[in-house]
Amino acid sequence: MFYAQLLVNGLVQGLVIGLAALSITLVFGIARFPNAATGDFMTFGAYAALSAHKATGSIAMGGLAAIIATGVISLLAYLAVFRRLAERSVVALLVASIGIAFFIRAVLGVAFGHSQQVFQVPLSRPYVFGSVRITPLDLQLAAVALAALALVFAILYLTPIGRQMRAVADNRDLARVSGIRPDRVMIALWLLAGSVAGVAGMMLGIKTIVTPEFGWEMLLPAFTAAILGGIGSPVGAVVAGLILGVVQEVSTPLVGFTYKIALAFIIMLAVLLVRPRGLFGRLEGAR
Amino acid sequence: MTYTRRQFIGTLGATTALIGAPSILRAQSQGTFRIGALCPVTGSGSPFGSGMQKMIIAAAEAVNAAGGAAGRKIEIVSEDTQTNPQAAVLAAKKLIDVNKVQAILGTWSSGVSLAVVPLTNDANIILMNTSGAPALSVPPANAKGLSYRFQATNDRFGRAFAEICEKEGFKRPATMAFNNASGIGNTEGFRKAWEAKGHKVVENVVYEPNQPTYRSELQKVLAANPDVIVTGSYLADTTIIMREWYQSGQPVKWVMPGWAASPDLVKAVGPDVVEGVISVDSVSNENAPSYKAYDEAYRKVTGQPGQSNVYAAMTWDMVHALALAIEAANGTDTAAINAKIREVSNPAGQQVYTYAEAKEALKKGKINFEGASSVLDFDQYGDVTPDFGVFFIEGGQLNRRYVVKI
Amino acid sequence: MEAYFIAIGIIALIYVILSLGLTLQYGLTGLINFGHVGFFAIGAYTSALLALKGVPLVFSFAAAAALAGLAAWPLGLVSLRLRDDYFAIVTLGFSEVVRIVITSERWLTNGVQGIPGIPRLYEGLGGSAAQLAVLVTVLAVTLVGAWIIRRIAGSPFGRLIEAIRDNEEAVQALGKDPARFKIQVLVVGAALAGIAGAFYAHYITYIVPDQFIPLVTFYVWMAIIMGGVGRVSGAIVGTAILMLFLEGSRFLRDIVPGVSEVDMASVRIGAVGLLLVLFIMYRPQGLMGDYTKR
Repeated sequence: MFYAQLLVNGLVQGLVIGLAALSITLVFGIARFPNAATGDFMTFGAYAALSAHKATGSIAMGGLAAIIATGVISLLAYLAVFRRLAERSVVALLVASIGIAFFIRAVLGVAFGHSQQVFQVPLSRPYVFGSVRITPLDLQLAAVALAALALVFAILYLTPIGRQMRAVADNRDLARVSGIRPDRVMIALWLLAGSVAGVAGMMLGIKTIVTPEFGWEMLLPAFTAAILGGIGSPVGAVVAGLILGVVQEVSTPLVGFTYKIALAFIIMLAVLLVRPRGLFGRLEGAR
Repeated sequence: MTYTRRQFIGTLGATTALIGAPSILRAQSQGTFRIGALCPVTGSGSPFGSGMQKMIIAAAEAVNAAGGAAGRKIEIVSEDTQTNPQAAVLAAKKLIDVNKVQAILGTWSSGVSLAVVPLTNDANIILMNTSGAPALSVPPANAKGLSYRFQATNDRFGRAFAEICEKEGFKRPATMAFNNASGIGNTEGFRKAWEAKGHKVVENVVYEPNQPTYRSELQKVLAANPDVIVTGSYLADTTIIMREWYQSGQPVKWVMPGWAASPDLVKAVGPDVVEGVISVDSVSNENAPSYKAYDEAYRKVTGQPGQSNVYAAMTWDMVHALALAIEAANGTDTAAINAKIREVSNPAGQQVYTYAEAKEALKKGKINFEGASSVLDFDQYGDVTPDFGVFFIEGGQLNRRYVVKI
Repeated sequence: MEAYFIAIGIIALIYVILSLGLTLQYGLTGLINFGHVGFFAIGAYTSALLALKGVPLVFSFAAAAALAGLAAWPLGLVSLRLRDDYFAIVTLGFSEVVRIVITSERWLTNGVQGIPGIPRLYEGLGGSAAQLAVLVTVLAVTLVGAWIIRRIAGSPFGRLIEAIRDNEEAVQALGKDPARFKIQVLVVGAALAGIAGAFYAHYITYIVPDQFIPLVTFYVWMAIIMGGVGRVSGAIVGTAILMLFLEGSRFLRDIVPGVSEVDMASVRIGAVGLLLVLFIMYRPQGLMGDYTKR
């Protein structure tokens, strides 16, 4: 039963990582670079949600604020910077995204200060199944992650703009010659990726505490999950997040609480060596 | 190889002598004693750093208002360590070489103090810190005996934890430590002291910062069925841990350092979650007139009560102890000042509390300065042994039940 | 005064050595190494631990370079199978693994307590003469490193690695194996970072895992991007700007009113971010860059 509880802990941790990875994988698949500003988008979303929650007392309003505000900031980053670098190397985009990350963090630091802030939500006792405890917050987190995933799927597979996104992801030039306007696709992409990051930030903020650095600290596990899952695969991102979370937690009796972090990279490396495109990735990911 | 190197070094020495020559001409400006205030204004020490810096300045003003030390005014030059050893080293270099300070006061984290102390040793100046790491007491860090610590060592915190656990009748303590020098220092200190009493610690867990959840860590600790968990933790991680523990529903008591179990923690998780948590902090010397003077100065400058920043009381005392030693040495020679620091701070002698009073008393004979942060008695390592206040969180308030002396 | 500038000079040159490694790896070969600080850490700990065991510093420095280079070997093998951007993240992960190992293996590294009292270079000289000697030594090593990289860039080997950067398939088609060259470049760059780490350890005299965070890698990247990718002069100029910026902000707050010291940290990192974005957008070749390439 000890392990069953660790499994649950891992799933919860994995959901947080998976949501962040979902935002990264969208950008990585379509705009083709690892967006290092994702972590700070999350922080931005958390502060937006926190402010709205304080003002209205409603978590739903907080979520709405996170979705809108982070979608907008993500779009602004695209319009001001990433769009102009579209033809440049991956490194140019990656470094620019680090620059944007630093800048957002600085603005948040000045605006909100450096001391920790928390969502004042009532704590509830867990549901107990045998000896396994699951808190209502875990279930809510799972519901939000699934809803975000379903929404991303619905947008990608049921809407015209989603089809265009997938077309751009598959082959940008081909998409262009078949009459798809990449700019519209990109605007939709950045809004979507930003919104997902905003929600991820809010969920992480509710679970933990909010500081200007807290999203940045989640970046590395999220990158790992995005790559492990296969770039451009929303399901892959979430599943990989869950796998990482579960493996990390279930392994702790063996490797301890420090090495469990290293384990994430080792899993990623091992998978990449066997399957360079990741678990769910398309062939395009391979060399 | 040897030959060329020796030759090379010879040339180098000559060059240095040439560059160094003008500095002899640039003599110390007469009539002042310059002190570097090197505090963690930014970085993880930022909740305390600017208050510490302000109290160094305020204490210097108090000294100067009483006519200075050994006929000289105290002058303060401030720098920020950024709570980062590399930045601190460059800042200390600037203080020593550009500003020509004759003492550095106020380094906070152990990492910073350990990085700065070789520089102050080289320059033959005094360093006064508020760090916990045991390594600062002994060579190489304190090889010249020029380093003074105004904070309890992590070991002493651990000993206080053990005293409290015994007094409260706990039988099966476990520990949880944040993986850094101070966190582990606290719980290791506790473990040593507890085992020396012939008891056993049932579980030790060390965890990493910035995790989205600490449930597995908690699960491991709770599985050992402890009756109390002793932590070496900080506010952020403690916030998450306390919330997740509360949701686990398993009853256990907590003993935590004061910087983690603070009013901010109560605010973050709510009074129900932290009800009964025991918060331990070195207590300032609150009933002494020196504390009153400090508290007034702190309120005036920051608008906050003095007890909100124990480190600021320490920096306040640093300037006092140093200035009194200068006065007693009647000069600015570091060796002479260093020889007087224990003499003016430790018993026996007339107990004194403010600089003006102490200066007068010094004319008559031996004094014993009692600080705002502690009675300020340095042992042979330059360490102080403050008393520890034991606070119980009750209804959202931190109530001090008793004081532990170790 | 001089001693302060010597201190800044030493730290700046240590960063220049780091940037030189990256210039070789990324600027010339196109390998996106985001784990530079990992090799820096290996060098620092190797030399510090050996020196404390009484090994002469000449050998401990050599060991630092060798071990850091050796650590790059498996990464080089991995790099051959990965896309550029994947490699960036794998290396970033590698540097974190290094930090975690240093943190965990307390028996070897003293863990989070760090290693105090690392012997200094030229301890016997004492005071400012030793400082100056250290500066001259770091400078000499930097110049040798710069010279080697310029030689590499101008050699057939250099043309080959640049060809790998620009078109790997073409190199393969010519019957050359890009793999071998990539590994060599990674190892040489990592060895340079190892030497930089050794200088750092023996200069600061106290090392702790917290000093080896990815931010150090990002600083080095910033330096080469501002200075000009793929050019030795770019690495030097970029690092100079970086140091001016990081140290200059000490003096800045006397000049700029209205910024509290607590906000200064935010302002510093915000300005760094802004500079990065502006350089990437408006001067991608860096200050010393070559207009004809990329």
